[in-house]
Amino acid sequence: MSEPQLCVTDLHVAYGPIKALRGVTLHANEGETIAVLGANGSGKTTLLRAITNMLARQQGTVRINGAETAGVAAHQLIRQGLLHVPEGRGTIGRLTVRENLRLAYDLRPTDHSFEEALERVFARFPRMGERIAQRAGNLSGGEQQMLTLARAIVNRPRLLLVDEPSLGLSPVMVDEAFAVLREFRASGMTILIVEQNAHKTLRFADRAYILRQGQIVTSGSGADLLHDATMLSHYLGSG
Amino acid sequence: MIAEQIVNGIVLGSMYALVALGYTLVFGVLDKLNFALSELFMLGGFIVIGSVGLGAPLWLAGMLALVICGLLGLVVEFVSFRKFTSPDAQVTAALSSLAVGLIMIDLVQKTWGGEPVAVPVPIEWRRASLAVFGMQVQTMKIIILALTLVLMAALHVLITRTAMGRNIRAVAESPTFATLLGVDVKRVNQQTFFIASALAGAGGLMFSLRNGVAASDVGFTFGLKALAIMAIGGMGDLRGAVLGAILVGVIESLAIQFGFGKLGEVIVWALMILVLLVRPSGLFGGAHVTEQRA
Repeated sequence: MSEPQLCVTDLHVAYGPIKALRGVTLHANEGETIAVLGANGSGKTTLLRAITNMLARQQGTVRINGAETAGVAAHQLIRQGLLHVPEGRGTIGRLTVRENLRLAYDLRPTDHSFEEALERVFARFPRMGERIAQRAGNLSGGEQQMLTLARAIVNRPRLLLVDEPSLGLSPVMVDEAFAVLREFRASGMTILIVEQNAHKTLRFADRAYILRQGQIVTSGSGADLLHDATMLSHYLGSG
Repeated sequence: MIAEQIVNGIVLGSMYALVALGYTLVFGVLDKLNFALSELFMLGGFIVIGSVGLGAPLWLAGMLALVICGLLGLVVEFVSFRKFTSPDAQVTAALSSLAVGLIMIDLVQKTWGGEPVAVPVPIEWRRASLAVFGMQVQTMKIIILALTLVLMAALHVLITRTAMGRNIRAVAESPTFATLLGVDVKRVNQQTFFIASALAGAGGLMFSLRNGVAASDVGFTFGLKALAIMAIGGMGDLRGAVLGAILVGVIESLAIQFGFGKLGEVIVWALMILVLLVRPSGLFGGAHVTEQRA
């Protein structure tokens, strides 16, 4: 069997004296969707930022497609087919929608032209076509989320890291966001999703890990964890 | 007479604008002040003198001034800014760049002495004038205005229409998000320093052409005014820097016209204090937003 696409082993990260991750080990096979669930402050965002080398690690290995990522600059890693959608969407507010998409296109030009990539975006999000010349900062929260996901359509990452896609969205928009992520998964993309919204995420993910105070406390298939309601409420609060 | 002084003010302001654009570009991208820019402004004229002395024609000497100042900007980025990345290192980086600027003054004084040095300008640029809207304007001033307009137009196109400009704007708003989109922040910083320093050098080059001399103290007496202009126009706001520079240039020229002489400079600094008190974001919008750093 070939090595998983993403392989994190014994990852330790600290902010000064505060240990944020204390030996996290997880993996994602190619085409798999995995979720990392945890309450606020459990280390979810830290985990994603450490995987993309935005944060230095103290110890541990991160291998993507079999290659150790230590020492690779964050922006280089992202050019190799890893798209990290940060908390708060990560759109550049003073750039137009087109410029935001252009950035995503330039960092990993597919064999299509940028115009073709835009066509694919408009087919999925007609709204982006109407907003194309506007500054991203003037979009509504839902539209910004569309723009964020549209970047993944343009960029076609092999590995997508998503930080709390449901944060601050209306229920309708949350459903929309998960519908798009399902399409990504169907296209063969490997997805690591970090969430607090446990039920929706567990129904979506193939496997899930529960993170608590910087450590993985349990893991299993999405379906199994979903049925273990006592465990969920124990680790995630109301879940 | 007043119209003539306003033209003089616009010419003066256009030279200030180039340095102010440099300050505001660096501030926009790094949220830090690069004091070396004032001395790169000073150096612009001396590089022209030096290159002409080595046999270069004036046009080549001018180009060299831009390129050498740009390259020195890369040195400043490396020694004074590269290591100081955290937001609380603002003072450290500013002090370090100030020291680099002082070294430049010392080196110039070692080479050319403390007195102003004549710049070899074609005499007809100073003698001849052209009729513009019924006014006689010195050819030199028209050349300066034309060159600054070309540089500003080029900067505008670069920032708004090219991939490099898009990356610069992205990093100015959020280095984190820009990195996540694959932008090499270090390279963008270097590009910003090169552009800002070349612009400051261009400003100083034209300043020395207008005066007919290059002097080692103009960084302090004139280059620093770009700071006031940046504050007046709005920190990190390119359009504000240009408008603020024209405003300051015209105020200074009119002050001279009405017999206030050096008081013009006092007015400029007082205006900066007033703007900082009343409209900290600057007179002309001040659109720069600093990223919330977690």
